[in-house]
Amino acid sequence: MDLGLEGKSAIVTGGSLGIGTSVALALAREGCDVAINYRRHDDEAKEVVRRIEAMGRRGLAVKADVSSYTDAENMVRTVVETFGRLDILVCNAGINWDGVIWKMSEEQWDTVINVNLKGYFNYNKAAAMVFKDRKGGKIVNISSINGMRGKFAQSNYAASKGGEIALSKSLARELGKFNVNVNVVSPGLVMTDMARNMPPEALNKSMSETVVGRIATADECADLVVFLCSDRARHITGEVIKIDGGQYI
Amino acid sequence: MSRVGIIGIGHGVFGRRSDATVQELAFEAFRLAMEDAGIERGEIDASVIAAVPEYHKQRSVAGVVQEYLGLTPAPTWLTEVACASGSAAIRTAWMSIKAGVHDVVAVIGCQKMTELETAEILALMGRVGEVQWESNFGTTFPAYYAMFAKRHMHEFGTTREQLLQVAVKNHFYGAKNPIALFRKEITLEKALASEDVASPFQVYDCCANADGAACVILASEDKAKAMSEKPVWLDGMACATASMSVLRRPHLVGLPSAEKAATDAYAMAGVEPDDVDVADVHDCFTIAEIMAYEDLGFCRKGEGGPFVSDRQSYIGGKVAVNVDGGLKAKGHPIGATGVSMTYEIAKQLRGEAGDRQVPDATVGLTHNVGGIGQYCFVQVLRRD
Amino acid sequence: MFQWFGKVSFVPYTKVSDFARHLKDGRLTGSRCKQCGDTSFPPRADCGACMSGDFELVERNGKATLHTFTEIVAAPTGFEDVAPYTVGLADLEEGGRILAWIGDTIPKDEVEIGMKLQVVPRIFEEVEEIKVYYSLEKPGTTWGVAPPS
Repeated sequence: MDLGLEGKSAIVTGGSLGIGTSVALALAREGCDVAINYRRHDDEAKEVVRRIEAMGRRGLAVKADVSSYTDAENMVRTVVETFGRLDILVCNAGINWDGVIWKMSEEQWDTVINVNLKGYFNYNKAAAMVFKDRKGGKIVNISSINGMRGKFAQSNYAASKGGEIALSKSLARELGKFNVNVNVVSPGLVMTDMARNMPPEALNKSMSETVVGRIATADECADLVVFLCSDRARHITGEVIKIDGGQYI
Repeated sequence: MSRVGIIGIGHGVFGRRSDATVQELAFEAFRLAMEDAGIERGEIDASVIAAVPEYHKQRSVAGVVQEYLGLTPAPTWLTEVACASGSAAIRTAWMSIKAGVHDVVAVIGCQKMTELETAEILALMGRVGEVQWESNFGTTFPAYYAMFAKRHMHEFGTTREQLLQVAVKNHFYGAKNPIALFRKEITLEKALASEDVASPFQVYDCCANADGAACVILASEDKAKAMSEKPVWLDGMACATASMSVLRRPHLVGLPSAEKAATDAYAMAGVEPDDVDVADVHDCFTIAEIMAYEDLGFCRKGEGGPFVSDRQSYIGGKVAVNVDGGLKAKGHPIGATGVSMTYEIAKQLRGEAGDRQVPDATVGLTHNVGGIGQYCFVQVLRRD
Repeated sequence: MFQWFGKVSFVPYTKVSDFARHLKDGRLTGSRCKQCGDTSFPPRADCGACMSGDFELVERNGKATLHTFTEIVAAPTGFEDVAPYTVGLADLEEGGRILAWIGDTIPKDEVEIGMKLQVVPRIFEEVEEIKVYYSLEKPGTTWGVAPPS
């Protein structure tokens, strides 16, 4: 399938690890120049850029705190100046800080909401300003099935992920007339560092929730994201697509 | 070719006539015309009704008027071309007489403008122009003529004072006319201080809606000479159109429809513009009268402003224009206006205009425009 | 689709309704008769020259000169909330004439008959439904155009 992504330009937040890295590389493979941001992992970020450039595309890594509104503005401006255009935004950066509510501190709540939900607002807004003016663009916000079904000891994470879905649907309504698609990819458990750091019983439990008996790879999530970033998906907007092996049907 | 003459005229009071239905207004004018003609209803072969239907609650206005006037089962139908409906109805009657189909035809122009709710009227106001490419930006009737005025001022140096002098003149004469809506004179200062409508127009640049009716009774030459001592002849009858949309007009400083209708009417009547003694022109807005002087050949293109400020359109000037008050002072019940103009010119040619009489008037003219100039009817009337 | 066009639309159906779709994408179009080549702005389905009904919409550059204008104070229904507004009538460089609002790039006291203008396709951004229009702006004003579909 020719996705028609040759020559396009993308931002992927949280691109130094996990799903973000897979998405960044998959977009580069399809012909995009890709900019990623990252918080701590300088070496990993540099490696992603090297691998993008090895494919003959332009890469850029920006150290940024996604919960910063002005950092988001600046990054979008920098990418437009450097690559000459911006066509795609994939919001992926997110953290979790679990705990049952009666033990959850204010800081635990605020931090997860600010990085995850506020972070998506910051980048979605900055990109929307560009996309609206040029009458075109693709936004994919990566959420989680936990944002749809809730999760024990993840009220903060689930709230942020559920909020990202409502944000995306509202933006789909606002930006549709400017030819901007806004969609959500909602994975179940994905084989990333976040998963590797879980206790094995928890990992097993998630796997047995699936009907296919396995958990997703980051590359599988990236394939879905990349499809949604292409013009082949131009009529899909305001949609939430789970990629969870049937973990939450 | 046989002539067609006017044998009876009648005019009701124009105003906010919340005291009457449209058919009751029609009857006022019809009764006066019948008395003036001295004929019975059985002698009327057909009637043509002029009214703009969208302003009435009653659908199919012609039918209800025909019935109330007691003219059934004679033929009747509605003629509508916006503000020129009255003249179109007269033209229709004239055509039927010239074709030999009818001998005596009553033409009743009748209109209520104030029957609808304000919101409905305001909505109608926005659909005057071409709704596909213009009304969707909020154009209004005054806005179109205001744009003509701005262009006229740009090309010829026409001034605000010259424009408003038209209003001052027409109110001066309207004050003397018992059927007019506005019976008070105004000053230029008062006009210049009035509220903005659409730049450069202020309230006094614009005619007002009114309710009212007028009636003329037409007859073939033989019948007219037999039935009337003072027939007024419709010697020049012309109609021409221009594009409805201002986006397709060749220019915006005159009405191409009026220019053509005037040329054709003068030719048919065998007269020149200088022969016209008295005229009623379509002063829906001040600029409309100034452009009418030019389109009708009373003065050269661009000189309409000085024409009125030099008092050339007052009684005693080159040609007396709108000395019944015009649309400005009479008000503008759109279906009735064309018939009202014909009434006034007939009155003038019969020497019956009292203190508004134009001395020795023998050639008269009416100039009736529909909408923003997409239709224009010019009539040249004469008294033997 | 044509009901997208204008602050208030009175025309939901027309043979030239694709005009509104192109306007939404940032393109001003006129019509061109496929039979005889006659062009028109505003676009028309039925050729004024040869009467053929076979037409296509072609993009226009939108360069124009102001012919006349007026500031409307007494507004009709549906426009009260934006009154007063200035409506301009402009002659298009490529032929035809257009009526539109004078836009924000031109201060009220700079509006002058004869001034050069750029017709800019616009979207009413802050309403949920799709509604489009165009405005008369200073030459050189830029706007977003969607890639051809």
